[in-house]
Parts: sequence; C-alpha cells; structure tokens
Amino acid sequence: MFGTLFIKECKQILKSMVYYIYAAVFVIFLSSQLSGDLTDRMERPLPDQENYGQTSSHEPSAVMEKILANLMLETNRNSYATYPMGFYKEVTLNQRELDEVIQILEDCSGKSWEELTEDMEAHFHKYDQSSMEGAMAAQTGYSVPARESLSYEEFNRNMEKICGIVGAGSSYRKEAIQSGVSVPMTYEQAVEEYEALCEKDRVTGAVSRLFCDYAGIILSVLPIFLGVTRCLRDKRAQASQVVYAHEASAFCIIASRYLANVCMAALPVLVTSFVMQTPYQYHANTMEVSPDPLAFLKYNLVWLLPEIMIVLAVSFFFTELTESVISIFIQVFWAMASLMGAGTLAGDFAFKLVVRWNALGGTNEFLAQRQQLFINRGFYFLLSLAVLALTAVFYEKKRREGETLYGKIFKRRK
Amino acid sequence: METRLEIRDLSKNFGKKQALNRVSLQIEQGMFGLLGPNGAGKTTLMKVITTLTKKSSGEVTLCGIPVEQCAKVRKIIGYLPQEFSMYGNMKAYEALDYLAVLSGMSKKERALKVPEMLEKVNLGDQHKTKVKAMSGGMKRRLGIAQAIIHDPKVIVVDEPTAGLDPEERVRFRNLLCEIAKDRIVILSTHIVGDIEATCENIAVLNQGEILFRGKVSQLLEAVKGKVYMTQVSAMELPVIQEKFLVTGILTSGSSASIKIISEEPPMKDAKPTGPDVEDAYMYLMHQAGGPRA
Repeated sequence: MFGTLFIKECKQILKSMVYYIYAAVFVIFLSSQLSGDLTDRMERPLPDQENYGQTSSHEPSAVMEKILANLMLETNRNSYATYPMGFYKEVTLNQRELDEVIQILEDCSGKSWEELTEDMEAHFHKYDQSSMEGAMAAQTGYSVPARESLSYEEFNRNMEKICGIVGAGSSYRKEAIQSGVSVPMTYEQAVEEYEALCEKDRVTGAVSRLFCDYAGIILSVLPIFLGVTRCLRDKRAQASQVVYAHEASAFCIIASRYLANVCMAALPVLVTSFVMQTPYQYHANTMEVSPDPLAFLKYNLVWLLPEIMIVLAVSFFFTELTESVISIFIQVFWAMASLMGAGTLAGDFAFKLVVRWNALGGTNEFLAQRQQLFINRGFYFLLSLAVLALTAVFYEKKRREGETLYGKIFKRRK
Repeated sequence: METRLEIRDLSKNFGKKQALNRVSLQIEQGMFGLLGPNGAGKTTLMKVITTLTKKSSGEVTLCGIPVEQCAKVRKIIGYLPQEFSMYGNMKAYEALDYLAVLSGMSKKERALKVPEMLEKVNLGDQHKTKVKAMSGGMKRRLGIAQAIIHDPKVIVVDEPTAGLDPEERVRFRNLLCEIAKDRIVILSTHIVGDIEATCENIAVLNQGEILFRGKVSQLLEAVKGKVYMTQVSAMELPVIQEKFLVTGILTSGSSASIKIISEEPPMKDAKPTGPDVEDAYMYLMHQAGGPRA
C-alpha cells in the first residue's frame, strides 16, 4: 500500500502547478547566483601575484587585530551592527557607553583614541575610496594591532564587556570570534588551497559545495509551499472525511505523502546540481584532475536533503495541526533568523538550518569543520523523522476526534 | 462473521452539548433508514460508527468488532459522507483507484474492481471525466463506488440525495437497494421520501434520542385513523395551521385541500385517509414536541 500510495502521490505532484513554480523559482534563483564562470578561480597561483584572495584565520594575533579594527570602525561611526534574534539592528551608544568602549579599545591596543583615529585616517587615506575595489581593499587591509602584553584571554574578557554594552548578536560575541577572521592569503597558502581543491575536492566537490550554499538558502523556504499545498488539498477538495474513513493507517498516509514530496522536491535540485556540475567536470579534466562525478549527489544528500526534509516536516506538522497556512510564516521566520544570524558566510555550522560555505574552495578548512556539518545535518534528519511521526500521531487523533487545534481555539474564542 | 451492527447506550457530548443520548439500536443486513431533522445527531451517529468521532460512552460493535478497534472497523465499512468530493484534477478512474489503494486493495484487485464499480454506478463512460467537471449526482455515484469497492460489510451513507434532481435521486435510491442485498446499508437522511422508497427498518432520531425504531409499517400503524382530508377556504388556513398538525396543502383558487393529523375528526366534513410515512414522521415529531407544520 505504501509504495503504491507513494507513486500516486508523486504523480499528483507532477500534475500540480505549485510544483512547477517551485522548480522554476529554484532554477531561476540558482542560475542568478551561479551563472558566472568559476574556472578563473581554479587556476594554479603564481609566485608573483598581487593578490591571492582571502583565507580564514584563527590565529589569536590575527583575530585580535581584525576584531579590534572592526570595533574601531564601528566606534568611530558610533554605529554597531547587531543581530539579536537573527535580525539586523543598528545600535547607537550614549556618551557614557561610548566612553567605556573607547576605554576598552585603548586598553586593548595600547594606544590613545586620538592615535587610533589618526592611524585609521592615515590608512584609509592611502586608498581611492571612490571605487568599489579601493574601498574593499581599504577595509580588508585595515587592522588595529593589539598591545603586545595583551593575552587572548584578556582580549576575550574585554570583548565580553563590549557585548554587554552593545547588546546581543554583535560581532564581538564569543561564537563570532571563534569562527575566525578573514585575512589575505599568502602564496604558500594559495598553493596549498589549490592542491586541496584538485586532490581532495577533485574540483567538482568545491563546485557542489558552492551550489549547496546557494541552494540551501532558497530551500529553507521553498519546499514549505509543496507541503502546505499537499496538506490542505484534502480540506480544499472536501476529501478529508472520505480519506479518514479508509483502512490505510495514519502513518502510511502521512509518510507516503511526505516521502513523495521530499523526493519530488529533491528532483529539480539534483538535476540542477548535476547540470551545473557537468562543465566543471570537463574543466577538471583540462586541469589534469580526475573529477568526482558523484560529488553533486553526495553533497545534495548530506547537505540539502536533511534541509528539505525538515522544512517539509515542519510544513506537514503545522498544516495538519492548524489546517491553515501558518507554517509558511513560521518557516520564513525560521529561515530568516538562521540566515541573518550567521556570524560567517563559511562555516560555523552549529545547529543552523541554513548552513553556509560561500566560497569556492577553502577545502582544508571545510574538511576541518566537516564533522560539525555531519552533526548538524544528522540532527535535522532525525528531527524531521520525529516531527513526521508526531504529525502522523496528530493526524490519527484528528481522524478520530474530527477536530483541529485551530478548530478548538476558534470554538473557545466564540 | 455475523453481519450486524449493535449500538448500546451510546452517548456523545461536545462540551456541554449532548449530541447523542443513550442511543441503542440493532441493525441487521439490508437497508436501514435513519430519519431525523437537521441537527438531530444523525451525522454524529454516522461518524461514531465510521470511527471518525470518539463516543463519550456506550458500546458500538460492527460485526462483533468494537468501534475502538479503528483499523479493523475501517476494513469492514464503507462511508459516503454528506459532502463527498475528491481531488478536482483526478479523473473518475484515478480517484476511485486512489481510494481503493487506501482500502488496502492490491493492484490486481483494483484492475478488476475499479472498472466494474464504475460500470455499476453508471460512470463507465465517464471514467476519464475529472472530478471537478462532475455534477453533484455523478460525484455521489462515484462516492458510492468508493464506499463499496472493497466489499465492506457495513455501508454508511449520510444525506446522499440532498441536492440531487428527481431522476438522479431515484437512480441513487435504486443503487442503494441493489447493494444492500448482502450487507448493511445505513441511510441517514432528513428526506422522508428516500426512506419510504428504500427502507423497511428505520429509526427516527431527534435531539440526540431515538424516538422510534422498528418497521415502517409500525410507524404507519401509530398514525392510522388519524389522518384526514378536507376542503377549506384559503382564508381559514392560518387558523387551521395554528390549531391542527397540517401535513399537506393543495391550494386551488380561494379554496385549499388540506391533510390534517388529528386524534379526532377535525371538522364535520373531514374524511379519513390512508397515512404515508411523511404523515407518520410528522406525527411522531409533533408528539415529541416539534412544530405543527
């Protein structure tokens, strides 16, 4: 029964306009983000290059000077970017608070506020800030070295104080500092990165990772529409009662619908991923690298499938619970909070719904954090199964008692 | 397994409202009519029987299986709800096939039974018609096909003829009688004509309580000798309706031929006439405190 229902559900999805809109939006979004040629970022670095790009560093002195530079810039503007609850909020301090921050800055750098300001102006003066490149170079090149006697522990304590003044979700919170800072890459580092790209990622791995980064953003919301459409279909068609009265178990009905939606939601993702990977597979051959033709499949299964699963599970659960579109709002809020709350665009996976690796490469660093990604995705995989089971339990309850949670609340209000 | 539905002291409360109050019924094979006004508790009773609503107290067993054993009960029941429909974009064949899968039928069984059932409900030529393009009558026929496709012991049809044109209604009644040959078919309705045309055994439900259970002939017996026909002036009608239980009015110009139910002859020129089920039902409801007309 389960297999037949699954196939019938898949066929029904294929007849649904919402599904084609889903697929179209996904493809358009991915094309808009990944339309450029990435091959120029796969060239072997040469010793005399002006710039080798950026890399992430966790080295205490690098972390301290970059974090202090950011603190200096924000204090100079008296405008601090924070993300409490994942949403952007600009914080402006009063004079007393500002003086406290300046005091900490002076203590950490060993320089007076006037000296710090002069150094900053002198640095930015060297760049042509009318151009984007100039402004970017000025920003990335700016640093405020910590005083020599400042230990990393003391620095962290000072940053905790800054968090207390500026508020939650600032760039000075422990997690943001732990995720490292972006620093210019050396030639040796660039060569190492290139070799990791060729040997460990086999080119297609890096491309698939970048694909998953962008796909993960849109997939944190998009599948919800498939789930809501399916769960409301019985109600809209006035078919609930007749379906309830049949022999099939609640788990069989819900799980077959869920699995069909997961598979059909993953289908355009897999196809798009494969299509986008193919040119780089050929490019890898020109680089004399043996590409991994299944990289797209591995990354999609590990990275994106659990995300599709949890988004659909949430949509099934809340839609069956309330027989309304409320899950769309819940999911959009969750996805936004996850995206806005990201301290970095590459790594720091923790238990975020949307995991980011917005870089082509960074192979060694990614591999170092891969375990964290597995834990994150494993967690969502198991969570989605738990939510699905809960949905089936609730569906059976609704089937027996003929009432939704929304119905009960609505009745009481009346 | 004996084909029998037993309901003992069944009660169902929705908060403070009592939808069913100590209802007891024994239903044997064949057509069984459940009659009652809107809001009498018929749909609640149907839903308890079909496992779609939990009872508050009492016992319900279908062919020896307590209704609490939902999975087993669902295997032996077919249900046509009051508002039957299916996914609009499905064709008749697909919809029936889908519901047959939900009934646990194998591919082989479905390949055999789906066309057979569509033929039986006269939808054989319409198997490619989408549900959204079907008329009310066609949907009900599809509904009855899905209710019987898995050969259930008990079929529950809730207000199946409401909204159907006379021709469709007659066709539907005949279909119900045909399928009731070797199983229980419970027809719940507020349309007396449906019961009169199809059922020998009936129960009348009002405000959650059974007012009558027995054969149609017994119901008619209760009103025998109490139905009168007479001619009155149209002007007198409001006064007569106030005073007597009037079950039929046929106006012709300034006079009207009326049917009255009364313990004694209501007027000198009133002539006794044979009762029909509607008269008997109206008399019963009137006795229970219902409106005069």
